[in-house]
Amino acid sequence: MRALIYPIRRAYILLRTEVFALPSRAVVFLFSLALLLLPLYSTDPYVLRIVIMTCVFAIFAASWDLLAGYTGQVNFGHALFFGIGAYASSLLNYHFQLSPWITIPIGAISAMLGGILVGIPCLRLRGSYLSLATLAFPLILIGLLFAFPGFSGGELGISGIQRLFTYPVHNYYAAVILMLVLCFAMWKIGDSNTGLIFHAIREDEVAARASGINTKRYKLLAFGLSGLFAGIAGAFFAHFIRIAGPSTLEVALSFQAVIWGIFGGVATIYGPVVAVFILYPLTEAVAVFPALREYRLLILAIVVLLVLLFMPQGLTPWLRNKIETVCRRCKNRNVFWRRECRVCGTELH
Amino acid sequence: MRRRMRAVLVAVSAAAALMVTTTQAAEKPIKIGIIGPMAFVQGENHWAGAELARDEINKAGGIKVGSQKHPIEIVKVDSNEIQSVPDATNAMERALTQDKVDFVIGGFRTEAVLAMQDVAMDYKKIFLGVGAAHEQLGLRVQQNYDRYKYWFRIAPIKSGDLGKVLFAGLGAIAAQIRNDLGKPVPKVAIVAEKAVWVESIVKAAQDNLPKMKMEVVGVWQPSPVATDVTAELSAIRRAGADLVFTAISGPVGIVMGRQMGELQIPAIPFGINVEAQKEGFWQATAGKGNYVSTLDTYGEGVEITPQTLPFVNAFKKRFGKPPTYTASTYDAMYALRAAVETAGTIDADKLVPVLEKTDLVGAAGRLVFDKLHDPVFGPGYVTGLAVQWQDGKKVAFWPNNWNGVTYKGVQTFKIPPQMMQKKN
Amino acid sequence: MFQDILITGLVNGGVYALLAVGFSLIFGVARIVNIAHTAFYMLAAYLVYAFLNIAGLPLLVSVILAVGLVTALSMVCYKLVIEPVREYESAVLIATIALALIFQESLLLTFGGNFLGSPTLIAGNMDVAGVRVTYQQLLTIVVVALVLAGTWFLLHKTRLGLAIRATANDLEVANLMGMNVGRIAMYTVAISVALAAIAGVVVAPLFVVDPLMWLAPLVTMLAIVVLGGLGSLKGSLIGAFIIAYVEAITVFTVPAGSFLKGAVALSIMVVVLLIRPEGLFGVAFEEER
Repeated sequence: MRALIYPIRRAYILLRTEVFALPSRAVVFLFSLALLLLPLYSTDPYVLRIVIMTCVFAIFAASWDLLAGYTGQVNFGHALFFGIGAYASSLLNYHFQLSPWITIPIGAISAMLGGILVGIPCLRLRGSYLSLATLAFPLILIGLLFAFPGFSGGELGISGIQRLFTYPVHNYYAAVILMLVLCFAMWKIGDSNTGLIFHAIREDEVAARASGINTKRYKLLAFGLSGLFAGIAGAFFAHFIRIAGPSTLEVALSFQAVIWGIFGGVATIYGPVVAVFILYPLTEAVAVFPALREYRLLILAIVVLLVLLFMPQGLTPWLRNKIETVCRRCKNRNVFWRRECRVCGTELH
Repeated sequence: MRRRMRAVLVAVSAAAALMVTTTQAAEKPIKIGIIGPMAFVQGENHWAGAELARDEINKAGGIKVGSQKHPIEIVKVDSNEIQSVPDATNAMERALTQDKVDFVIGGFRTEAVLAMQDVAMDYKKIFLGVGAAHEQLGLRVQQNYDRYKYWFRIAPIKSGDLGKVLFAGLGAIAAQIRNDLGKPVPKVAIVAEKAVWVESIVKAAQDNLPKMKMEVVGVWQPSPVATDVTAELSAIRRAGADLVFTAISGPVGIVMGRQMGELQIPAIPFGINVEAQKEGFWQATAGKGNYVSTLDTYGEGVEITPQTLPFVNAFKKRFGKPPTYTASTYDAMYALRAAVETAGTIDADKLVPVLEKTDLVGAAGRLVFDKLHDPVFGPGYVTGLAVQWQDGKKVAFWPNNWNGVTYKGVQTFKIPPQMMQKKN
Repeated sequence: MFQDILITGLVNGGVYALLAVGFSLIFGVARIVNIAHTAFYMLAAYLVYAFLNIAGLPLLVSVILAVGLVTALSMVCYKLVIEPVREYESAVLIATIALALIFQESLLLTFGGNFLGSPTLIAGNMDVAGVRVTYQQLLTIVVVALVLAGTWFLLHKTRLGLAIRATANDLEVANLMGMNVGRIAMYTVAISVALAAIAGVVVAPLFVVDPLMWLAPLVTMLAIVVLGGLGSLKGSLIGAFIIAYVEAITVFTVPAGSFLKGAVALSIMVVVLLIRPEGLFGVAFEEER
């Protein structure tokens, strides 16, 4: 009996002190719960498909943030990793009939290697040079894919690949759980010592180097990790829509990642995720109204612009600052109505 | 009293009659999703062709299923496929599960159609393809019949057959060059956009042209979205080509047409140039695309079947411009009507065998499906047309006595005047 | 083949230079990466088309109106959208992407996804060293040369130019010297967009006008400015011709690989960056903080 009560108590305490102590965390927790329970309410395949796509792009956007937001390596060609993941897993599945359970991890690892490979020349670049140079990589890869159509399928891509699961609900859970686990992992990385070094590199690389940090190694690590996560998203995407084509490498997709990341708020991980969960379903919801269908991209662009004008640091930091205050002494966050810090007891206002 | 009784009776029976008729009129419509890139010409034509067919069929009372007549309701599904493939699959899913359509017609960009095909097959819904030419779509029916049997291609003919049409047309033009310019072995430059669908055509051209007494002087493969081909054209001019054999589906086709005209390259452009099939080509090339020729589906004033002219004329009258090949949604709707009326059901599994036996004289030719659910190509079936832009008008010049086929309304091919300087 | 490469590279290089110089200018002065630069170019091309073909205005009027309107619009956009978020570099970036998308979608909705053709400003062609060139292309080269000379004059011989160069050199010091840095940035935006608009006007008749036409030149232009060194006008000019010649050489030597010209140009850019991370004429920024 005790053995059962103990973990429940632990979980309760953890929830009360770590999750429900902060409104932002409570929202994330409740939202995750809602995602997991959604199929009880509706198993409409269209709704499930939209959430699956949203999850895939949420991972993709968050992985961009890990590289661009944390480390400051503002990548304009993030679709490269998505495309490598999609193509690698599709090729393996198509030619060797390997199960998606094997091809998705391999696709992710290929994307990670791609990340490191791209990262090496990017070590020498900074700021806008880096952004504009990275824009080139997916386009060079598209050129290569078209040059070897027998291998890559040219403009058609690789089609007729296997699905992960047959039923929409299974795919739904795979996507949601994958998204929650990976995004939590990325958030944890961002919160860890490594994440701190990433922050330091973005803020002042020279100072970081002067403090004895091997910034090159950490930048490559950021490229690799970001590639890994984006690769998982790409590979899962390919197995879900069952085709990996050149559209997974397009400039538009790379820009999409930048828009989501900055719209949600950089260096947060949850920011881009929130952005995707707002913007992607929004564009689809607009498409449901026939009169607005053709205006959806226009509406999206205007919404992004307006939000940025009022919240130039992105949506989530703005929201978070409204509902939470940072303790001046210990830098811990508190609900805005608290008068003293929940950790060190300093007066807040 | 009696009169009053009668009045009541009349009223009651009238009301009853009214109710019967209203229930009949409110008979559940058959919903057909028209899927395509609605902001672009391809989608516009998908929709226009379908609208025309819907109004004609509904005017005639609708589709007869068993003993009941059902009206048709078409649903506009914007796939946005030119800009985004995921958008296309989402749109297909939305059409099938939210709009609850019974059938889907349309599609254009092959990468997107392959993905959409899978979604439609998941729901075992009949998907009539109008727009994508790639053979892969039909091969899937052969490889996995049980899954992909719900797919049928209405238009265009598959890319391999397009190749056959090309060589027939090329032969006709080469004959004219030999005749008018006194060149026994015309030189051909192959300009194919870099894409998978052109590969078999380019290879066949390199193999067949020497046998057809033509010389291949080179192969140029620009990107389908290249915005400038002056470099390619300079090289082609230097190679002394008489014919430019094109296999182009992207906007580079317009650039080709325009820059060839502006630079007055002394060569005849012929082949597949999808942009040159569109009415807007003349405007898009600012009139410089004169003499550009391409394969096509419909031509103004060309009577492929008795159905063609009424369709083309009605289309032009209603929408102000002639149809392009994605307007074959029109034929698709009629094929569907025929199958549903024969089968007496809208159940997809029961419709597939009936659709397989389709033999319909449509506006683009006689539609019969082969084993891959592709339209059968050949004399007496669907042949396609070859057209040339002549002073702002698209004029059909082929088939002219090809295997005994000559369509009423075909005219002669014109050799560009700058070619005449090359006369030996 | 040699003269083919020479002439083709010259013509295309001129067009690229016009776009790249404008983009580089605004980056150099205000550190704005204006993704919407080629969207303004597209807008100008559409306006000329609309004035000529739909409104039926005379050629010269259409051209002047198009360039003027686009330049005015750029100042409005700067005031409304860019200036409020100037201090957040990432917000500026995404704002310009959003602007480009808004232009694209508005044009798509107004004109449809059709490809449109602007009439040639001067019809006809001639042979230069055995290579056929249209008058329109020659006109483009002349315009490019004039505009670039004008820009040079403006930057080096006028007070405004002096202010712009001072701001580009050191924004803070220029501010301390009493220059209205915000206004100078706006003027620079206007000059830079005017260059893009002129490019759109002279180039539109060479190419095809469509709502996605801003993407391809955007990538080429970015490659050029990175290759030449961000913010360096000389670098952009030379970079434009390097990329144009690389593309021409690709097409003429490997005809079956002419689709690769974009990829080859981008690879050249990456190679240059590997050797010189700040581009050919960029300022070294190794210890810049």
